[in-house]
Amino acid sequence: MILIVNTTSETAVTKKIKEYTDAAGIETEIFEAGEMDISHCIGCNHCWLKTPGVCAIKDDYEIILKRMIHADQIWVISDTALGFLNHRGKNIYDRILPLATMYLQFKGDQMRHIARYDKRADFGLIYIGDCDRDYLERWNKRVALNFESESLGVFDHKELKEAVACMY
Amino acid sequence: MHVLIINGSPRVKKYSNTDKILERFTGGLCEEGSGEGNTFEQYEISDKGQWDTIREEYYRNSNIIIALPLFVECIPGLLMEFLESLKVREDNAAIAYILQSGFAEGVQLRCGETYLEELTKRLGCEYRGTLVKGSNFGIRLTEGKARDKITAPYEEMGREFSKTGNFFSDKCRAFTGPEVFPAFVRFLLGIMFKTAGRKSFDKAAKSWGCTLPLDYRPYD
Ligand SMILES: Cc1cc2nc3c(=O)[nH]c(=O)nc-3n(C[C@H](O)[C@H](O)[C@H](O)COP(=O)(O)O)c2cc1C
Repeated sequence: MILIVNTTSETAVTKKIKEYTDAAGIETEIFEAGEMDISHCIGCNHCWLKTPGVCAIKDDYEIILKRMIHADQIWVISDTALGFLNHRGKNIYDRILPLATMYLQFKGDQMRHIARYDKRADFGLIYIGDCDRDYLERWNKRVALNFESESLGVFDHKELKEAVACMY
Repeated sequence: MHVLIINGSPRVKKYSNTDKILERFTGGLCEEGSGEGNTFEQYEISDKGQWDTIREEYYRNSNIIIALPLFVECIPGLLMEFLESLKVREDNAAIAYILQSGFAEGVQLRCGETYLEELTKRLGCEYRGTLVKGSNFGIRLTEGKARDKITAPYEEMGREFSKTGNFFSDKCRAFTGPEVFPAFVRFLLGIMFKTAGRKSFDKAAKSWGCTLPLDYRPYD
């Protein structure tokens, strides 16, 4: 399953993606997170040390998290700000921490947290607005590295066909 | 010099590792003798009630340090939300950064560091470098001497900033430590992670009232 989290108010983008994925017979689940109540991560570490795997913040993020553990791919759609994802987009990644455990290991030559679940979702990013695309590519690769998965690439919202081509 | 210091951590001041680092850093910055006459004011992004004041002080000051934890390879969402509310400056203000993280190797922070330079440009400010260091996760879980061991080295960096007003010196660069650990160190640490490391996390969790194994799967 392909999980798509749209943190923008541009529902036209998800509509278009759905058109393409339906035509190709690709199973997707779309969250219109722009209309959902999703806080920033407060760094309390409860999801690692107090209530393992469960976020202390009770808001709409939990339903997304519950679907993430079944996804083959996680795509985030975000507006940009100051050359990067805006805070709504970034919050989706910061709140993902319950998918990892506190425990550490080396993967390649770098430290990583041991994953909580067996499934490994690859990460794709679709942005709306001005940004440094090369930088976002680099960042997205680093995100994937943390979850022992692959980057599917970073796409402008005008390149939805190209993005959908990476969904399976 | 007078420095405006913004703690960009979303974690409340009491528990913020960045705050404990800043305690030591500002100690060195304003030390008797070398730091005579230096002053600073510090604010917390975790407290939204301070945001209006931080914005005012941000526009008033031209010598700014933003200290922040690495959050998923870049800046925390909450700090981003604050920065999005700032107007571009055109009056020669300068920003330096203290970027700190959980993982220990320098390579872990480079992606975040790269963004901070771009961010400074977008804010219309001059970039005065980033003090980069990992291995700070333990600050919150330790006290006394064990904590001092992690935070005390930042005092020297405060003195260094007092001298130069930036983080470009060789001393600041060397402060990061190794980019990656040599293979034999990784091997030893790998064993430690499986044994004493696990135990110390389990112990910390127990003291937080946790009764479940730390790799528990609530949604399976
Ligand atoms: C949501 C979240 C994401 C994090 N991401 C990273 C990361 O990508 N790399 C890293 O080395 N540490 C990461 N950390 C660890 C923090 O940078 C580290 O614990 C830091 O010392 C916290 O400082 P603070 O207490 O001032 O917030 C992350 C912590 C949180 C809560």
